[in-house]
Amino acid sequence: MTNTLQDAGMSRRKATKVIAGAVLGAGLARPAIAQAITVRWWYHFDNPQHTPAELIAKFEKENPGIKVQAESIPWGGGNDYATRMFAAVIANNAPDCALVKISNQARLLEMRALHPIDDMVRGWSARGDIADDVWRVNRGADGKQYYLPIQYVVLYLYYRADLLQQAGLQPPKTFDDFLAAAKATTKGDVYGFGMRGGGGGHDHWGSFVLGAGANFDKGGMVSPQALAANRWFVNLHREHKVFPPSAPTDGFRQIVDGFKAGRTAMTIHHIGSANEMVQALGDRVSAVPVPRSPQGTGWTSFGDESNAIFASSRNKEAAFRWIAFLSTAENNVAFNKLTGQLTITTSGARSWDLHPQRFVDATSQSLPIATVLPDRPQTPDFTRTVWPTNMQRALLGQIAPDEMMQTIEKHFNG
Amino acid sequence: MSQHSSRRDTVPLTPYAFLAPALIITGLVVLVPALRTFWMSLQDLILYRPDAARFIGLGNVIRAFGDEVFWISLRQSLLWIVLSVGLQFLLGFATALLLNQSFWWRSAARALIVIPWALPSVIIGLMWTWMYDFNLGVLNDMLMRLGLIARPVAWLADPDLAFYCVVLTLVWQGFPFFAVTILAGLQSIPADQLEAAEIDGATRWQRLRHVTIPGLADIIMTALLLRIIWVANSLDVILLMTGGGPGYATHTLPLYAFQKAYSAMEYGYGAALAVILTALLMVVVMGYVRRSSRGIAT
Repeated sequence: MTNTLQDAGMSRRKATKVIAGAVLGAGLARPAIAQAITVRWWYHFDNPQHTPAELIAKFEKENPGIKVQAESIPWGGGNDYATRMFAAVIANNAPDCALVKISNQARLLEMRALHPIDDMVRGWSARGDIADDVWRVNRGADGKQYYLPIQYVVLYLYYRADLLQQAGLQPPKTFDDFLAAAKATTKGDVYGFGMRGGGGGHDHWGSFVLGAGANFDKGGMVSPQALAANRWFVNLHREHKVFPPSAPTDGFRQIVDGFKAGRTAMTIHHIGSANEMVQALGDRVSAVPVPRSPQGTGWTSFGDESNAIFASSRNKEAAFRWIAFLSTAENNVAFNKLTGQLTITTSGARSWDLHPQRFVDATSQSLPIATVLPDRPQTPDFTRTVWPTNMQRALLGQIAPDEMMQTIEKHFNG
Repeated sequence: MSQHSSRRDTVPLTPYAFLAPALIITGLVVLVPALRTFWMSLQDLILYRPDAARFIGLGNVIRAFGDEVFWISLRQSLLWIVLSVGLQFLLGFATALLLNQSFWWRSAARALIVIPWALPSVIIGLMWTWMYDFNLGVLNDMLMRLGLIARPVAWLADPDLAFYCVVLTLVWQGFPFFAVTILAGLQSIPADQLEAAEIDGATRWQRLRHVTIPGLADIIMTALLLRIIWVANSLDVILLMTGGGPGYATHTLPLYAFQKAYSAMEYGYGAALAVILTALLMVVVMGYVRRSSRGIAT
C-alpha cells in the first residue's frame, strides 16, 4: 500500500497536487477512511454456483483498505481463459492478479507480463507450508518465482475394481498389465480404456509415450523408443480395439460419463472427478497411479494452478496479500472446496476430508512421476491443436504413428 | 467566390448530418477493425511476441497457398456452404409451403418452427453433440431400438460421418430462416394469380412452377445470398461439436483462421486467412449489395 503512488508512476508535482487536494477536501470527506485499493483478480471455477464471496469478505475484514474485485472468466478447457488473458495483457487491461497455469508461463514471460514475487515470498510467513518441490516445479525458466501455487491435482488411473476382479486381475502396474486388463475387460458394449482423443487428451497419451521415454528435447519425439511407444499406444486402438470407437473425439465429459455409465473399465483423470465417480459406482471404482513402462519409467500430469501478479498492476503489494491469503492454511482448504482440487498446503492436507482416502492416496503415490509439460511458447498450441489433430489422424489410420511424432518434433524443435 | 458560396448554400447538409452518427459508428466498429485486420495480415505477428512483429507483405497469403490444411479447409468450406445452405433452403421452402396451407393449429406451427433459429448456437452445438454421443446419445438408442443398427455408431469420431453430422445440425438450425422468409413472400403473391392459373387448368405443380416460384424469386435470391454469407462465416457450431476434428474432417476456413489466431496465436497468418475468406465472400456480398440497392436506384 505504501508504494501506490510510486507504482502508479505519478510525478512529484502530480502527487503534491493529489495530497493538496486530499488535504483541502478533508473537511468534506469522512474522517479516517483512506481511499480503498481495489485488487482485480481473475478466476475460474468448474461449478458456476460456487463463489469466492466468503473468502473475499474474510480477506477484506482482515485487510481494511483493500477491496477484491473477483472476475469469473470462462474456462473453455483453458483456451478461452488463456486467450482472454493474453488479449487483456496486449490491450493493457490485465487484472492485478489471476489464476494461471505453468503451461502459459513461458508465453507470459515472453510478453513481460508477470511481476517476480521472490522478495514478497521471502517475507511471507506461510511460505514453508508449501512443499519445496512445488515451489521448484512452479519456478520460471529464468530462475525467478512468478507463480504462487494455490492448488494441484495429479492424474491417475481410475479402474473398475469389480470388472478386474471378475477377470482375476490386479490393478495394472505396468504397460503389459494394462494391456492385459484392457483386453480382458473389453467385452460387448464395454471397452477396456476410455481414451480422451479430444482436447486435453495429451495427458492420456503422455502416460504411455512420455512415460516410455519420449521427451520434448531435440530428437526426443523421434527416438527409437519414442516411436515404438507411440506405435504401441496407437495399436491399443487400431489393433487391440480396447478404446471405444468414439475415442478420437471424446473429451472430458465423454470419458467421465462413459466410465460412470459402465461403458469403460479404466480411464485417466484426477481427483476432481472422484466424488461423482463414487456417487455413480460406489466401491466399484478405485484408483492407482498410471502404469509404468517395462523399464520402470513413468509419466503423469501434474495439474498445477497458481496465482500470479501482472507487471502492469499498480497494486502489487495488495495483490500479493490477496493471493498469499488464498494459499494460506485454512483459506486454501476453503478455496479448494470450491474448486474440488487438492490443497497446496501441508497443514491443510492433514485434515483433508473432501475426497475418499483411496483417491488422495493414488494422488500422493503418483507424485514421484508427476510433472508438467515443458514451459515453452509452443506448448499451448501443442495441447490445443497439434496433439489432438495428429492423434486423431493416427488413431483413425489417416497417418502413420511415426508421422504424428515427426509433426510434434517439428512443432517443438523445428 | 460568390459562385462558390451560392453552390454551398444549395448543398443540403441535413441528410449528411443525419447519416453522420451511423457512418461514424460503422466506421469505428467495422471499417477500422477491418483495416487493422488487413494490416495485420501483411505482418508476421505472433501475439506473445509483439516486439518481433515484422512486415512481410503477401508472405502470409503465399504461405496459405502452400499449406495443405488451407486447401482442405477451403474445399470443405465450399461443401459446407453448398450442403448447408442448399438443404436449409429446400427444407425451408417445403416448410413454408406447408405453413401456407390452412389447418387449425397453423399459428402454433408457425411459432414453433422458429425455435431452432431462436436458440443460441452454443445450446444447439451441445444438444446435438449429446444426441450424437456414442455412449449415451439418443440417436444411437433410437436406431438400435428400431433395429436399424446393431451397435452404436461413433457419429462425430468417424471422419466419413462427422462432417455430414455437423451439416445436419446446421440445417436444423437454419431452415426456419428460409421458412419464415419464404412464407412472408408466399403471402404477398396475389391470390387472383393463383386462382386464374387454376381456372386455366394449371396443375398444383404448374402453379408452383410458373406462378409461385417466379413470384418468390427476388426473396429467395436475397435470402440465399444472406445465408451464404452467414454460413460461410460461421464456426461456432463446428467448434463446439468437433473442434475441426477428427483430424481435419470438419475443418473449414473460418475455423482454421480461428485456430491459427487463438490457439497458435499467429495473428498475422490468422488475419491473412480471414482476409482470403473475405475476398472470396466479396463476390457474394457484391451480388447482395447489387440486389438490395436495385430498389433504391429505381
